[in-house]
Amino acid sequence: MNYTNIDFDQLFGSNDQTNPVMMLIWIVPIIIFVFYGQRIQLQITSGELKKGIKKLEEYKIESRNELIGYVKKNMNPKDDPTKKIDRFLDYFTIMPVNMDPNGIVTKVRHIVRARENYSREHVRSLSPDTSNLELTKIQTLLEIATSLQMIYKVVNHLFLTAKKQNNYPLILPLQMMMPFIMEEAEAMHKAIPAFKMGQPIGDGIGPMVIGKMMLGTKKESIAFQTVFSETEYAGRRLFLLKAEGPDAVVGRPGDAVQSIISKNKLDAIIMVDASLKMEGEESATISQGFGAAIGGIGTERFQIEDIATKYEIPIFAIVIKQSIKEAITLMTKEIADKADEIRAQIYEMIQDNTKFGQSILLIGVGNTMGVNQ
Amino acid sequence: MFSKEKTVVACTVEKCRLCGMETKRKFQEGDFLFTETSKCNSCNGILIIEKIFGETLNNISTS
Repeated sequence: MNYTNIDFDQLFGSNDQTNPVMMLIWIVPIIIFVFYGQRIQLQITSGELKKGIKKLEEYKIESRNELIGYVKKNMNPKDDPTKKIDRFLDYFTIMPVNMDPNGIVTKVRHIVRARENYSREHVRSLSPDTSNLELTKIQTLLEIATSLQMIYKVVNHLFLTAKKQNNYPLILPLQMMMPFIMEEAEAMHKAIPAFKMGQPIGDGIGPMVIGKMMLGTKKESIAFQTVFSETEYAGRRLFLLKAEGPDAVVGRPGDAVQSIISKNKLDAIIMVDASLKMEGEESATISQGFGAAIGGIGTERFQIEDIATKYEIPIFAIVIKQSIKEAITLMTKEIADKADEIRAQIYEMIQDNTKFGQSILLIGVGNTMGVNQ
Repeated sequence: MFSKEKTVVACTVEKCRLCGMETKRKFQEGDFLFTETSKCNSCNGILIIEKIFGETLNNISTS
């Protein structure tokens, strides 16, 4: 065939004898897209979002069923716990008003602790003889199920509102955020087996490092779910602090630091914690820095920073980079293998930044599930 | 289509506090880091759990 003699004027109907069919083929889609473009985009985006929401619903249902199954198997409650657990899952927290931020941290701390105490006592009420380890594991599973339920509810609400209003721009932020939301939800869903088995998670690297340093020392409880011990290194006095393992808890390091400083003079604080890595960063890399390395809602960090500022104590940080999934699921080999190197870096940091006879507080920050001391 | 499914197996590493010999086994419920487990086969020292971690096995499955 010869393709060199195509008459473009004839093909597109742009000569004097304009083809009305070709005109329609051009104009009709333009009109459709002008008036219905957003609706078409809404339909296409809706399909993708629906898949994500279905997955979120599956995670929500599975986490609830896993929790109920675990409670029935391990707590042996007298009555069926389903109704009570469903009520726990719907609990919400109203954060204090922040129009006047003065004193807001103590208010947030009060509300968060009241919620923790309430849920702990209510989980315990299902079977009063349950051990602390089981109780903390169930409390964490309850937190996971509650979070997954909340994520599903919020995402579904935003999606349905956009659909109801036929409002395409309203669905755009959700479409942009969906991959991040799914990553977090998937991580939480995958964390369930580790919590059921009581295995150390990636976030437990801080307590793992300090826990080993505590071996052979006299441990004492210094704050709620928090242990403390003393040792010596190169003529320095070391105070070691971590949450009380092997329970699935993070302890109250803020209260513990307050208690230690009331009886001792501190010359430096070193905090060891897991930290979220950036995209492109390698997992299980160790970084050193300054400032309080501790996550959460911010109340513990505020308390530690407040004490450090008041007594002019420098705070050093060692963090172990990991993804959100690695932080809350079973610890990877790469992270576990770094424990000795972190300990070596702590000793080096002590030698470089403190003098003979000084006192240093070492805090292993993170969830200490499966990590003894 | 082929999709790679990652299977994670939990492992426990025990280390003798005396001779430093390390042994790796499958994780069992009740294993916690730094707990004493048994006596070392080679030197009669005490084994403690040194590490607990997940190792990935790559299973290729059809979907």
